[in-house]
Amino acid sequence: MSSSQVPDRAAVGAEITPPWSRRRRRRSPWQRAGNSSVPYLLVLPVLAAIGAVLAYPLYKLVVISFQKYGLFELIRRHGTWVGLDNYRSVLGDGVFWRTLERTVVFTIANVGLTMLLGTLIALLLVRVSSLVRVLLTVGLVLVWSMPVVAVQVWYWMTNYQNGVLNYFLTEVHLGDYFQHDWYATNFSKLAMVTALIVWGAIPFVTITVYAGLAQVPSELVEAAEIDGAGPLRVFRDVTFPVLKPILLILTSLSIIWDFGVFAQPWLLVTASGWNASNYLMGVYVYIEGYAHSDFGRGAAISLLMLLIVALLSVFYVRQMVKTEEAG
Amino acid sequence: MRVRYIAAVCLVAALAVTVSAATAAPSRSTARSITVWLQTDAQNGWPDIVASVNSQFEKDHPGVKVNVQYQQWTQHLTKFDATLAGGNAPDVIEMGNSEMTKYMAAGAFQDITSSKSSFANSSNWLSGLQKAATYGGHLYGVPYYAGSRVVTYRTDLFKKAGISKPPTSLAQFTVDAKKLAAKNTAKGFSPVYIAGPDWYVAMGFVYDYGGQIAKTFKGKWIGTLNSPKAIAGLTAYKNFFNVASHASKTQDEAHPFPYTVYAQGLVGAMPGPTWVTCCNLLGKYTKASAQFVMPSHTAGKPMPGFLGGSDLAVPVGANKALAVDWIKDFTDTATEKALQAKGNIPNATNLLGDSVNERAAARSWFIPSSKNWVNVENGNILRSMLTQILTGKLTVKQAATFASQNITSVLNG
Repeated sequence: MSSSQVPDRAAVGAEITPPWSRRRRRRSPWQRAGNSSVPYLLVLPVLAAIGAVLAYPLYKLVVISFQKYGLFELIRRHGTWVGLDNYRSVLGDGVFWRTLERTVVFTIANVGLTMLLGTLIALLLVRVSSLVRVLLTVGLVLVWSMPVVAVQVWYWMTNYQNGVLNYFLTEVHLGDYFQHDWYATNFSKLAMVTALIVWGAIPFVTITVYAGLAQVPSELVEAAEIDGAGPLRVFRDVTFPVLKPILLILTSLSIIWDFGVFAQPWLLVTASGWNASNYLMGVYVYIEGYAHSDFGRGAAISLLMLLIVALLSVFYVRQMVKTEEAG
Repeated sequence: MRVRYIAAVCLVAALAVTVSAATAAPSRSTARSITVWLQTDAQNGWPDIVASVNSQFEKDHPGVKVNVQYQQWTQHLTKFDATLAGGNAPDVIEMGNSEMTKYMAAGAFQDITSSKSSFANSSNWLSGLQKAATYGGHLYGVPYYAGSRVVTYRTDLFKKAGISKPPTSLAQFTVDAKKLAAKNTAKGFSPVYIAGPDWYVAMGFVYDYGGQIAKTFKGKWIGTLNSPKAIAGLTAYKNFFNVASHASKTQDEAHPFPYTVYAQGLVGAMPGPTWVTCCNLLGKYTKASAQFVMPSHTAGKPMPGFLGGSDLAVPVGANKALAVDWIKDFTDTATEKALQAKGNIPNATNLLGDSVNERAAARSWFIPSSKNWVNVENGNILRSMLTQILTGKLTVKQAATFASQNITSVLNG
C-alpha cells in the first residue's frame, strides 16, 4: 500500500489494460473532469450531514467558550464576549489539574485492562471448541448491545443494603461482606466504575481482535512452532505484528471513549457521590457547565478536553501511519 | 410533497385566524395543552389529588389537556435548563424553595405579582415559601406546600424494648436506640436509620447546638460550620449515628430510600418527611407506625428541622394565563386541605392545624439565601463532609473547616 508501490501497480495495470479501459481514455477532458468529480459528489451528502451535526455544534461550542454564558444568557440565548476569561479561570483552577491527572491515570488503567483482557479472550476464542466459541460470542454481543441503563443493574447488585454481590460473597464464604460498602472511598468508587467500563468495552475489543486473528497466516504460526517457538514467542513475533494496526486503532478509540466517559460513572456512583476530590473529566465538565449553569466555562473545559484527547491520540495515530508505511 | 406543505400552512393560518377571532368567546374550542412538572413526591404521595385537580381544570377549560410530567429532584434543574435553552420550558414547574433564587435572578420565570390576590389564602401564605418566591419585590412563584421532618417509628418495637413513650430529648432518644438495638439483633437492623450523608438530618444537629451553615458579614458570605457550636452539633450527629444507624456512610437517602429498609423490618425509627406513612410505602408495618417530633438536646424542645417546601412557578415562554389558572386550582383551599390530610403543611397560616408535622415546624432552619447555594448542593460539599466525619477519614474539625472554606468560596463566587 505504500506510495512507492503505486507506480508499479499502475505499470502492471497498463500492460494488461482491458479494451473497455482503453476506450475510456479517449473520452473528452470534460468527461474526465466529470468522472473524477463523481466520488466527491458522492461523499457530498455525507459531508453535509457531518457538517450539520458536528461542525455547527463545534463552532457554537467555540463561540460560547469565549463568552460569559450562564443561566441569564441561556434564557436570552446570547452571551457576552469575555475573551479568554473562561480559559484563564479553568486553567487557574487546581481542581481542573487534579481532575486531569486523575482522569489520565483512570484512562490508562481502563484502556490497559480493556485491551489486555479483550485480547486474551480473543486468543481464547481461537482455541476453544466451536460450541463454546458461539456461546462466548453470543455472551459478548449481548454485553455489547446492552444499553447504558445496565448501569442501574450494576448499582443494584453492588448495593450496600440489599446488593446480591454482598449476599453471594458471604454465602460462598469468601468473608463477611454483609453491608460491605463498595463505594466507601474515592478509590473504590473509581475502581467500581473501572470494572463497569472494562466489562462494557471488552466485547468490542475481543470481537475486533478475533476478526484480526483470522488474518494471521496459519502456516507462519506452524512454521514458527516447528522451529521451536513457544506460544509467547509466536504471539510476539508472528501474531502481534499482524494485529498491531488493529490494536493501535482499538487503543486510540478506547482512549477517546474512556477519557471523556460520563454516563456510566455518573449513574453508578450517583449524583451525590461526586465531589471535587474524585471528579473525572466527564463529570467535572457536567458539574461546572450544567450543574453550576456556567456554560461558557463548561465549553472551555470541553474544548480543552478535546485538545488533550487529540494530543493523547496523536502518538497512536503516528504509530499507525508508520505501520501502514512499513507494511 | 410541496403542495401538501402549502396546504398545511394555509390550514394553520386559517386556524390561527379562527382562534384569534374566537378569543372573545367564553370557551376556547381548539385543542391545546399545558405541561406541568411536578416532583415524584406528588406521584408517590398524592397522585389522586393531582388527578382530581386536572379533571376539574379540564372541565373548566374545555379542549385544554393537562400533561403532568413527574421529575426527580436530582435531575429536574438540568432538564429545565435544557428546555429553557430550547424554548420549550413547561408551563408550570415545581421548584424547591432552596432552588428559586438562582432562577429568579436569571429571569427564568414570569412575573405573577398582579395575579397574587386571585390565589386562595394568598394574604396568609407561609412566609418562608413566599420569601423564597419573591425577588426584587416581585412575585415569581406560588407556595405549594411545606414539609417539616418528623421521626416515623415502629410502635410495636418500641413497646417490646420497654419504651413507653416517644423520647423528648436527644439523650433519651440515644438511650432508647440502645434499648432497641439490644432487643433487635437481626443483622443490619438500625434502631434509628439515618443515611450517613443525609445533610438534612445532620444540619438539624448543627442548628440545634446553635450553629449555622453560613452567615453574611459586610455583604459577603462566610461558611461557619467550623464554629465551635457547629462542631458541637456535628460531633453530636456523629455520636448519635454511631449508636443508632447501620446505614451506609457514603450513600445518600435516595439510595436506598429509608422507607424501603423500614418496610423490610430493619428499622426502629427514621427521621424524614411525614408522607412516608402514605401509600403503603412502609408495607406491612404501616399500621404499626406512628410519628413524633425529633427531640432537641435541650429536653422538651423539638430539634430544628429543615423546612422544605415547594413553589409553583411559570417559566418564561409559558402560557401564563392557563398556567396561572391551573396553579389557582392546585393551591385552592380544598386542595391544600387534601395535601394537609396527606401529612404536609398547607401553604397558608390560616389552614395550619396541630399535626406532628406542624408541631415540628415550630423550630426550623433554612439554607443560606444565596443564588449560589445550589452549587453547594451540586458540589456535594456537605455530603462529602459528613462522609469524611463518619468514616473517620478526617476529624470533625478538619472536615468542617474544609467544607466551610469551600462554602465561603462557592457562595461568593
